[in-house]
Parts: sequence; C-alpha cells; structure tokens
Amino acid sequence: MAHDDILVAEELVKSYGGVRALDGASIRLRGGEVHALVGENGAGKSTLVRILSGTLGADGGTVRAAKDARIAVVSQELSLFPDLTVRENLFPQHPPLRLGLLDRSAMDRAARPVLAELGLDVDLRTELGELPLADQQLTEIARALLRRPKLLILDEPTSALPAAAVDRLERVLRTLTDRGIAVLYVTHFLDEVMRFAQRVTVLRDGLVALAGAERAEVDVPELVSAMLGGRPEQPPRRARSLAADRPPPVVLSQVDVDGRLTDVTFTVRAGEVVGVAGLQGAGHLDALAVVCGRTAVSGGRVDVGGRGLPRSLRDAVRAGVAFVPSDRKRYGLMVDRTVWENTTAVSWLALGRGGIAPARSELVRRTAELTERLRLRGGPYDLVVRLSGGNQQKVVFAKWLATEPKIVVLDDPTRGVDVGVRAEMHRIVGELAAGGAAVLIASTDLAELTEVCDRVLVFVRGRVTEEVRGERLTEHGLAVAMQRPEVTASD
Amino acid sequence: MTETERAVDDAERAREQGGGQSGLARWWRRLTPSARALEPVPRRWVRDEFGVLLVLGLLIAGIGIPYPDFLDTNNLLSTAHNSVYISLMACGMVFALSMREVDLSVGGTYAMCLVVGALLIRDGTPPWLAVPVMLVTGIALGVFNALVTTLLALPSFIVTLGTLMLFRGVGLALADGKQITDLPLDDSFFTFAGGDPGGVPFALWVLLAVIVLLSVVLSRTRFGARVRAIGSNPDAAAFSGIPVVRTRIQALALSGLTTACAAALALAFYGAGDPTLGQGYELQAIAACIIGGTPLAGGRGSVVGAVAGAMILSVVASGLVFFEVPINWTSFATGGVILVAVAADSALRRTGRRRR
Repeated sequence: MAHDDILVAEELVKSYGGVRALDGASIRLRGGEVHALVGENGAGKSTLVRILSGTLGADGGTVRAAKDARIAVVSQELSLFPDLTVRENLFPQHPPLRLGLLDRSAMDRAARPVLAELGLDVDLRTELGELPLADQQLTEIARALLRRPKLLILDEPTSALPAAAVDRLERVLRTLTDRGIAVLYVTHFLDEVMRFAQRVTVLRDGLVALAGAERAEVDVPELVSAMLGGRPEQPPRRARSLAADRPPPVVLSQVDVDGRLTDVTFTVRAGEVVGVAGLQGAGHLDALAVVCGRTAVSGGRVDVGGRGLPRSLRDAVRAGVAFVPSDRKRYGLMVDRTVWENTTAVSWLALGRGGIAPARSELVRRTAELTERLRLRGGPYDLVVRLSGGNQQKVVFAKWLATEPKIVVLDDPTRGVDVGVRAEMHRIVGELAAGGAAVLIASTDLAELTEVCDRVLVFVRGRVTEEVRGERLTEHGLAVAMQRPEVTASD
Repeated sequence: MTETERAVDDAERAREQGGGQSGLARWWRRLTPSARALEPVPRRWVRDEFGVLLVLGLLIAGIGIPYPDFLDTNNLLSTAHNSVYISLMACGMVFALSMREVDLSVGGTYAMCLVVGALLIRDGTPPWLAVPVMLVTGIALGVFNALVTTLLALPSFIVTLGTLMLFRGVGLALADGKQITDLPLDDSFFTFAGGDPGGVPFALWVLLAVIVLLSVVLSRTRFGARVRAIGSNPDAAAFSGIPVVRTRIQALALSGLTTACAAALALAFYGAGDPTLGQGYELQAIAACIIGGTPLAGGRGSVVGAVAGAMILSVVASGLVFFEVPINWTSFATGGVILVAVAADSALRRTGRRRR
C-alpha cells in the first residue's frame, strides 16, 4: 500500500445464490481524492459499497485499510429521523451525556464547526423534516463527518437534489479532499463525474471495466462504452404504419409541472410505441404520471383520449388509459384474490361493463378468454399470490386488455420477469400497437426500449432534450443522450 | 325500560350460558383436510360462515343439554331478539370494515334516529311516515361521515369517533335529555312492527330480509365487489380507476341505513324514544363482525358471519344466567369471547401467510 492509500480492495468476489454480483473487482482509494464509481443497475456498485463499508462479507478477495481508517457511508435513501431535531439526528448512536441526560451544549460544540464547514446554516433545534431535501442531505453528510472518517462513501447523493444543491455539494467535496479525506462517489450522473471526480472506476457485470482512470483521460462516451460493453446492438426498428389521419390519443403541449417538468411537448399517435428515458428524477416518469391523471399540471395543454387533462386516475381510466405499474403488487394487483376478481377490476368495477350484478359465470368466462390469449398459467379461480411473477404480470395485462384501452402506459413492465415472459410481454405490446393503441413506455432496461419502441423521448432535468429514433435508437445512443448536460444548467 | 334492565330481565327470565369461541372453530375448519379440499371452489362465502355458525350451534347445544329450558322457543326467540339491533348495525358495519373503514358512530346514529322518529310521531306525524324520515336521517349521517373523512383526509376511525359523540349529542339535545313518551301506542306501527307477527318478533323478520339482501349485495354486486377490492388493496383499486370516494360514501351510508333501520325497530318495540339507548353498541357491532370473520384489514366480509357473531355475544350473555354466573360478570365474559375470537383470527392469518 502506498502511503496515501486509505483503502485498497483486490479481487473481490461475491455471489447471491447462483448470481455473481462481483466477480473479481478491485479498487484503490487515495486520500485527498474524489473517486467516482459508475455502472448500470445491477453492475455490482451497491455490493461493492457494502463490502467496502464492512456491512457485507466478501466470498473472496482482500480489503486492506490504512491504520485507523474510519469509514462513513451516506446512503442512497436518507436514513434520518424526520421527527427529531437536527441536533438529535447528528448523534444517533452515542450522544454526549451529562448526568445521564443528553448534553446539548456538548453536542452543539461538536456539531457547529462541521456544519460551518459544510455551509449548512440551520437552527439545531429545527425538526429535520422541516428542512429542504438538500439540507437534509447535508445533515446526513455532517453526521458522517462527525465520526471523523478517513473515507466517506456517498451512494448516489444527488439523485434527489436540485442543481444549486449540486453546486454546493461540489464545494463541500473540495473542502473534504483538501483535508486529505478519500471520497468514494457512487452516481449515475456522468456529468457529475466529470465535474467532481479526480478518478473514475466503471463496473460492468461485477467486473471492473475501467479501473481508476484519471478524469482527464476519459470522456462521457468512453464511460458509456465501458458501462455497456460490447453488447450486440439490436437492429433498428422499422416504422409502423400509423393512423396519421386520426387525432393523436396523447398530446402534451408546453406542459409544466412545478419543480418536475418544464415545457414538455410530445404526442403519441395511435399505433405507435413511444419510450421515455432519463436518469432518476429527470422527469420521464412525471410525464407518465400526467397521462395517468396522477399529477397536477401548472401550465400547458394536455389531451388524453380526446377528453383533455385527466384530473384523477379514474378520469384517465375512463379516457381509455391502461397503466401497468412497475410495483405490481402494490399498484397493480389484489394478490390475496383470485385471477378473475383481478381481471374484472377495471372493466367491471371501474368502468361498469357488465352492469350491477352480472352472472359470475360470465365474468369467469371473459377471464378465461384473456388468460388463454396471454397464455397465462393458472385458472380463473387461482389466487394471484400463488402465481409466478411473470404470470402475475400477465394478470395485470389481462385486467387492462379486458377494457380494450386506447392508450397503454407501461412503467418497467418486465421488471423481475424471466426472458421468456419478457419476450411475450413485448409481443403483447406490439399487438396492442398493431390494434391501434398508443403505447407509452418507461424502462430501467434500455435494451427493452430499443427493442419495442418506434422512438424514445429523452428527458434531462425536467425537459425533453432529444428524440432518439431510427439507427440512433441503440442502448449506447440512449445512455449518452440521457447524460447530456442541459444547455441551461446554471438554473 | 333501559336496555340494561331489559337485558337483565330477559336473562333472568330465560337463564342461559356460553363460552363460545368461533375462532377455535375456524381453526378446526382450516386444519380439517376435508375443509381445505373445498378451497378452490368458487362459493367462498358458504365456507367462510361455516366456522362461526358451528360455534353458535355448539354454544346453544352446550347450554341446552344441561339446561333444556334454554331451548324453549320463546327463550331462543328472545335471545335472538336481544341481539337484533346490534346485528343490524353489524350488517352495515361489514361493508365499512371490508373496505378498511370503521364506523364508530353507529351508537350515536342509532340514538339520533330514534329521537328524530319519536319526536315526529309525538308531534303528530303518522308513525309509518316517520320511518322513511328516520332511514333518510341514517343515510345522511353516514354520508356526512364519509364526506368529512374524505375532505379532511383523516381515517374514518377518528372522524366517526367524533361524530359518535356529535350525533348522540344532537339526539340528547333534541330530546332535552329525557325519554320521549306519549306516543300513540295503539297505532299499527307499534302493534305490528313492535309485535310478533307469525309468532316471531317483527324485527327478526326484518333482520332475515336484511341478511339475505346484503349478503347478495356484498358477494354478487358491483358495489360489493368494489368494497372488497378497495379493502384488499386500496392503491391498486385507485390505479384501476375504481371510484374510491363514491364507494366510501355508499358504504358508510349503508352503515347509517341499517343503523336507522335498527332505530325504527327499537322505537316500535319500546314505544318510547330514549336518547341514551345504544351506548357501546358500536364496539359490540365491530366485535360481532370480527367474530364473524370480517378482518379489520378488509378485503373480505360476511354478513351472515357478523349476525352469527352478534348472536354469539347474546347467547353468551344470557347463558351466564343459566350457569348462575352473577350478572356483573356478563361484560367479563363478553370481553373474553371477543379476545379469544380475535386472537384466533390473527393466529389463523399468520399460519395462512406461512402456508403461502
């Protein structure tokens, strides 16, 4: 170990069940440097972080740390207590005591210099939940710093932050590295890597694709190539025949949503499959929420199914919107009920087709038709909870297919299903479009977007920055477009 | 005569006992292979009530064998009649609980409807015409509960805790804190609806009709299916476009309606409007639902089970007299029945989850 090394990990291996999360990953973290760690979802970033911080044991490999190298982690999800004061949040484990009571003045004496260093000027008696998100994040960093770490791990700290807070974070990182602290900075935002980091390591499929390269030696396209590797690209889609004469079922025109979307304009025509892509918080999911009637719009014009802006989920459903959510157990299914009760939840219960008291045999018969069409393994009377994940997702599709929707909104429709079911879902999406539905899809799996979409709208910080189609519709093309720093980044 | 006096009176006139544990019967049902084999059969509701009805039967047999007087028709009818008001409330409460709402206000609704009806009749309204006014009052109070719950975005538990006292307070104020008497007791309303046509108290005929009607509504109609869908997964229901707010209004209005129905029958039977009547009925109605297999977590419910639950409470209370348990132990025994039933229910749910 060189004298300025804080932590050196070599050839780390970790498997979960049969899945190799890490397959010989190494990283060297030096004092006084911000070292960025990037990679796709599932590349092994979180596993590496947990091994380095000591909360997870590796199956193989070594981790060597400098003497007295304390490590502090600021995690992806804030792990703070919103109902406690800032002061109480800063000392969660061993607060200073006097006569068995909390010693507030000692707490304040310890906390003030750290908060000053971070530029966080708040009353320590404030309840944490009343602070803006950016200040909560700084509080969490302050809590980590109070443990006087030699290595600070920041796990995707900026995904929820506004641009100004990111600038502040940049200054904070500089202060820390000036003091000789090593920072491991995990992120999806490659422009931040270029701004903050001295070095960058790219993980791909549990392996190091790029090891501790100096920032000056790389650029964003190179990082994207390292993240995606030499995966064979799909052939570009041929255009579908679209019903151009009919008015498009989905129209958004200069739509603003406070703090989330700015001047978003797009249409989806009948028979078209349009993807939306973006990094976390980029606004692509908010656009879906507008179409589904889940978000109040502060400006612009929206028309969904010829009925204007849907004011509620129910409004959207009545306008002909079908919504397949990413969290199907929470938003899509009644898992403790039978298949037929789930498949009739929209057509009968929401839209009233079948009347007040239809014969149960009729409801079951309609369900059987759908399950056959979707090749769902399970009968109408089976409890949904007993089906496999892929078949559960088919039940969600079935309940919407029963309504013959005009607009189909899909959020990560193939998450957690196997490749066979994934291919079937894509076939169904194609059939829906061929049948005249307008399909809008978001996915964390970029390959999925390139496979099913005619074109993909790329969102960056609340704006549509690019429309990717034709030969440029590749994983690589999308990943680069999602990273493009916004023109007006100074807001 | 207040209901406490009536209960004591009935209990002494009869002399019965209990010790019922519907939950245990449901254990038995779940653990018996033949019952498990019925699982995929679509007629779920038949199965759901089996356990609680079995317990009710065992309880009656358990008292009737050592004390054959208990099985006397008049005694059985009066025991059933004792539970009729709570049974009716429980029939409506099943809908609220099935969609994860609670209507704690039924005791207050009951008293207020009773007073409204009694005042109208005393002031010269034909009694049969006062009945629809009472029913509409009950519906209106239920709608009020639902609207406040929706507008304040509060749990209905909290809202109806407030309106429980609010409604009873209105009843007390309208009645000036006194019983409303001087009603025309020779009117056919009091002689027929308060009497025993065909040898059976009129209220029991009404209860029977309500059981049949609401069982079908809950298990077979769109409204009932919406109620159960919302209780099963409120988020998924909203994302499916099911009108959650409207269904909540309808369910709580139904709870108010069955309560008003109980109030009208009580007025006919007692021949007086007592604003202090029905204290604590809300908790007994909820207990009856839970004993009858309607979980607080919602998603399913049983009208028949709820009535059987109310009957079990009534049989236990009157059975204590037969076993010469002092009357002051009635509450103790009732509480014991509720605890055993609820404990068995949650234990069942845990084993059910493990099986999955």
